Amino acid sequence: MKGLSPIAVLVAIGAGAVAVLGLWWSNTPVVAGPADWITGAGRITGLLAGYAITVLLALMARVPALERGVGSDRLARWHSMGGRYVVGLAVAHTLLIIWGYAVADGDNVISETVTLNLTYPDVLKASAAVLLLVGIGVISARAIRPKLRYETWFHLHFYTYLAAWLAFGHVLSDGAEFVGDRLASLAWYALYIAVALLLLWYRFLTPIRRAVRHRFVVSRVVAEGPGVVSVHIAGRRLDRLDIQPGQFFRWRFLTRDLWWSANPYSLSAAPRRGELRITVKDLGDHSRSLARLRPGTRVIAEGPYGSFTAERRRRRRVLLIAAGVGITPLRALFESIPAEPGDLTLLYRARGTRDLLFRAELENISARRGARLLYSVGPRSVVGDAFSPRTLSDLVPHLRDHDVYVCGPADMTGRVIPALLVAGVPGRRIHHESFEF
Amino acid sequence: MRRAIFAVLVTAVGLILLLSFKPHSLTSGDEPLSAVAGPDPGSSDSSGDSSGSSGSSGGSSGDSSGGSSGGSSGGSSGGAKSMGGNAVKGDAVDTVWGPVQVQITLSGKKITKVLVLQAPDGNRRDQEINDRALPILNQEALAAQSAQIDSVSGATYTSEGYIQSLQSALDKA
Repeated sequence: MKGLSPIAVLVAIGAGAVAVLGLWWSNTPVVAGPADWITGAGRITGLLAGYAITVLLALMARVPALERGVGSDRLARWHSMGGRYVVGLAVAHTLLIIWGYAVADGDNVISETVTLNLTYPDVLKASAAVLLLVGIGVISARAIRPKLRYETWFHLHFYTYLAAWLAFGHVLSDGAEFVGDRLASLAWYALYIAVALLLLWYRFLTPIRRAVRHRFVVSRVVAEGPGVVSVHIAGRRLDRLDIQPGQFFRWRFLTRDLWWSANPYSLSAAPRRGELRITVKDLGDHSRSLARLRPGTRVIAEGPYGSFTAERRRRRRVLLIAAGVGITPLRALFESIPAEPGDLTLLYRARGTRDLLFRAELENISARRGARLLYSVGPRSVVGDAFSPRTLSDLVPHLRDHDVYVCGPADMTGRVIPALLVAGVPGRRIHHESFEF
Repeated sequence: MRRAIFAVLVTAVGLILLLSFKPHSLTSGDEPLSAVAGPDPGSSDSSGDSSGSSGSSGGSSGDSSGGSSGGSSGGSSGGAKSMGGNAVKGDAVDTVWGPVQVQITLSGKKITKVLVLQAPDGNRRDQEINDRALPILNQEALAAQSAQIDSVSGATYTSEGYIQSLQSALDKA
């Protein structure tokens, strides 16, 4: 299954936005006087916010065609950018409507706010919704986000469902575009119901169905290096999952303290003998407690997700660049991506020799496939920058002629990708997946 | 950060452009205001029923279906009597938000009462505006004893419709 191309998805989103603007256009005969201008701007921002929130939810609905075609990490980036925009639109809508109505009524904004909330149907609920959205926006802000646990942040996000539901009513009961327009109201209902069904199916029912069908359980936990463990998960009929190396699952381990959170971890090996393997570095409470998992623990796995796979490759030659625990999906690709001897190179950067994961496995694969394996180990102050355009070109002959897969912490991908571009690798052949969520 | 500023700018410019493409005055463009049952003989028949206005030449009034009930076609200038005065209906005037129609009660030449028969009430916002603007317009009309009254700000369309309907009623009286 191929999935939808990112361009097609963006075009569809844009077309929806144009349709929403058309709704406003056809329902607004005149814009006369300052009050109309302000209220008009408020209506447009409100309509767009109501539409965009469904787009945000749909992007995160784990629809396989999106996960495959666009890629989970890009979806998450779109979602976070779009999320800020939606919060901005919703706030702008609220303020503009209050202001515009106040100007029209010759009233002050405070008492207009009270009137709106108390006398217009469903507006009070919508006010609660906008406060929720602002709250979610605040916790996702760059300054605050790192101070929260992943799980806290993740679960607070579920309040967007509540916000969307609270805001839904006032659109239809107060929106000039919908009152008296059956068709527009039906279309709005259809949009929200469709997104709700996508969420229900792919985020809630599919994982349960999978768990029943595949019966995932932890089979063993192996220490790989300092603070790094591999968890092997056994399951039935894994071939039915259509897993491609480079993909990840969202794992929910059913123990007393882990069952409520589903965390994304890449497969660190191609599936074999009825077993999947993930490799996890101790980066927080969740990854730490994985080391204490007992064999036999039941697991719910959502996936496979991600488009960081061999499907993206266009050229014969392939370069994989990994840093730290970013080796996990690349380890799986190194093992399996089709390549003739000499066409495949793995460049693996780690802080120290002890931090190199899978050394034996990687060297084994390298020898078997005739693939080049390059380590860069030690502090940057000592060994220099392994990711400068110059070094990369020297290390990898015909660099421009490669497809390059990059995986590592954000600051690493932030340095490697520009360096590759400078070295002459076209952007469409640089594939990356970041750990950021 | 640069992306955020860009997004805000594009949105603001887009909003202003969209809003600026719309007509901006009540009189320009394709006549946002128009009397439904004007003196134009071509249109008065068909629109008279639906809007509930009485024909301009006259006689029938008393209910909104065009004077068909009980054959009560009254006198020459607005027939139905109410509380010691002549009630005269104005035309139903279509505004962008819906028709406005008033009925005045005359005692001799004096307007003693203005009753609003129709005003836009498609949504909560319209009702708000009516609740605020209509009493003011009624007061103004009684004070001025004519249709030469000011619009209520924030209720421009309703005011315009009100004034036109009032004028048409006065013309008939």
